[in-house]
Amino acid sequence: MSEVLDAIDSVSDLPERLAPLREEILANLVMLAQIPAPTGREQERVEYVLNRFVESGLPEAGADEAGNAVGFLPGQTGARTIMLVAHLDSIISHRVDHNVTVEANRILGPGVSDNALGAAVVSIIPACLEQLGIQLNSNLSLIGSVSSLERGNHGGMKFHLSHTQRPVDFGICVEGVQLGRLNYFSIGTLRGDISCDVKPIQSRSFGSESAIVVLNHIVNQMLQIETPQRPFTKISIGKFHSGMSYDVEPDHAELGFEVNSHSDRMIVQIQQRLENIVAEMSARHAVDASIDCFFRRDAGGIPFSHPLVKSVISVMSELGIEPDQGHSPSELSEFIGRGIPAVTLGITQGEKNKKKPDHVLIDPMLRGVAQLIGVILAIDAGVCDGP
Amino acid sequence: MDRDQWLAERTFHHSNFWDMKWLVEEKERQGLKISLCLPSYNEEATIGKEIVILKSELKDRYPLIDEIAVIDSGSSDQTREIAASFGADVYLAEEHLRETGDHRGKGENLWKALYLLSGDIIVYVDSDINNIHPRFVYGLIGPLIRDPEVCYVKAFYDRPLAFSQGVRPTGGGRVTEILVRPLFSLFYPDLTAIIQPLSGEYAGRREILEQIPFPVGYGVETAMLIDIYEKLGLGAFAQTDLDSRVHRNQETIALGRMAFGILRTLFHRLSRQQRSQFAEELPQIMRQHNCVDGEFELVEYLIEEFERPPIVEIESYVDKFKSQQQQQTA
Repeated sequence: MSEVLDAIDSVSDLPERLAPLREEILANLVMLAQIPAPTGREQERVEYVLNRFVESGLPEAGADEAGNAVGFLPGQTGARTIMLVAHLDSIISHRVDHNVTVEANRILGPGVSDNALGAAVVSIIPACLEQLGIQLNSNLSLIGSVSSLERGNHGGMKFHLSHTQRPVDFGICVEGVQLGRLNYFSIGTLRGDISCDVKPIQSRSFGSESAIVVLNHIVNQMLQIETPQRPFTKISIGKFHSGMSYDVEPDHAELGFEVNSHSDRMIVQIQQRLENIVAEMSARHAVDASIDCFFRRDAGGIPFSHPLVKSVISVMSELGIEPDQGHSPSELSEFIGRGIPAVTLGITQGEKNKKKPDHVLIDPMLRGVAQLIGVILAIDAGVCDGP
Repeated sequence: MDRDQWLAERTFHHSNFWDMKWLVEEKERQGLKISLCLPSYNEEATIGKEIVILKSELKDRYPLIDEIAVIDSGSSDQTREIAASFGADVYLAEEHLRETGDHRGKGENLWKALYLLSGDIIVYVDSDINNIHPRFVYGLIGPLIRDPEVCYVKAFYDRPLAFSQGVRPTGGGRVTEILVRPLFSLFYPDLTAIIQPLSGEYAGRREILEQIPFPVGYGVETAMLIDIYEKLGLGAFAQTDLDSRVHRNQETIALGRMAFGILRTLFHRLSRQQRSQFAEELPQIMRQHNCVDGEFELVEYLIEEFERPPIVEIESYVDKFKSQQQQQTA
């Protein structure tokens, strides 16, 4: 721990030194959050972030082929490349009013925590370094990624990491909440949709029923799949859509599911079971049922003993932040899957809501940004290099 | 400058002034100081956002604005506390220029801003804008910095109604189209070139603002246009399209009271210019109907539309700004 702090002296006074940038961070957050950006429609946020990169004087700023906002700040020696990423897309429809309210101690609005704040912070990192008079030896690659969520399946990051010409040595995923979040491994995940379409009456065999009833049979079969405690494995059914009216039997029904496990083998087994269930129910009930597994993330991560994790904990401790370790659904897996040590960090406290606007607290934000700078400094000083 | 020429040459879009670096350089070259005034009354839902965005973008990042002040009419909510927490100077209107008496209203706050703020250019922006953006300020400052003949810039907002051909009807809100534009067409035809005479966002040079009276209530925007026009003509004006503005919509009944105040302000000017005479003093009571449990009742509203004199006639103002000018000269 002392090695880390020796390398990056005065972490504890960073929040105070960053205070002149507080309103800029908040303004970035408000303006980004007010731009609707459902997955696949992030263009306006990309332009906003790129404008910030250009105004900060980054020598390289532009969109890559996938549409990610990419900024590059060369280091003095370029010995390492640290990539910071915040996803720009949101699960909130563009039809929702994206108005943001600024109160004395918090900011409220759809998607402020996930992930307008993360994007706001990534776009202001060059200004923070300038404010603090920091010149890194490492290159800093800043990414506002697109197509991260839902069916996007981290498409932007997958493309960028697969095509970037510069090897990435470390990754930091930036999320709005919660401050203290320290993710360094990903749980294996499979996401998919099962849909069920009833065939026209003339081609139905005996026993054909409404789509919603058949899909219900499929759900019952799914619930009979046994999942072990160890390795931890879980099947969730998160979405179910069907029907238009009380007196019309639906001819289409669909559900969305997610499987999580610490074992990739378990995920493969469950996927096979699900495919078998859907095939059998399709035949038995004379419907067109299909399964589409569109998202797959392998389990994995770096060990707790990795110097990057130890350094993050040291920085957090210096700033009075309590680490909260867990798995991450963020872009972390894209780094981990490519053997790049990476963590996911949160910027402030707040609440992420699905049915009402999120909120984030203003006060802890500067500590969250200071934590990010501290980790960058630790990496830059070489204390996070793996064995 | 005739109306058509004015419309063509003095109507801008905020994007004409996107180059903030140029604006700041030119402002500094001209030695101008610019103040932003946000008049407020119970605006806790929007004031924080306005200050955060405008301060961050126009004071911290690009030093276009030298001071941001909230002049409050005595809000009972958290407006003043929130404004102060994000770095605005906050003034309670009633605590200043006490010797001139106390009146409440937006116009009162705008008038006192001339005393409390020190800018050569004062930008007034309402505090209830949901979609606040730096364009609301730099779009108004731009014409003043670009053209020394321009003394007053008025905002207008595009209201894209459904249209299928090249001609698109554009205009103001209900009070503008039903009341103000017909009146301007009758009495001040040049001012009909101003697309939204009642918009709440405008910027002016101190040298003209200090010379005109300020109605404390609904009539302040109309009065400013007529009085500046009377002194300097249409050539002193410009207008800027700030795209859309999202704010609370007022009910028609409230707009009726606004219209009453505007009418009093306008008739006052017509009398002053001896263009229209009234045998009696115009009443200050506006009556509207209420229906309670099927019974109709008349509700009376006192809308006096008191007018503050040109602030250059106030001794404290002269003392403050004369001494400033003397110090600068010395």
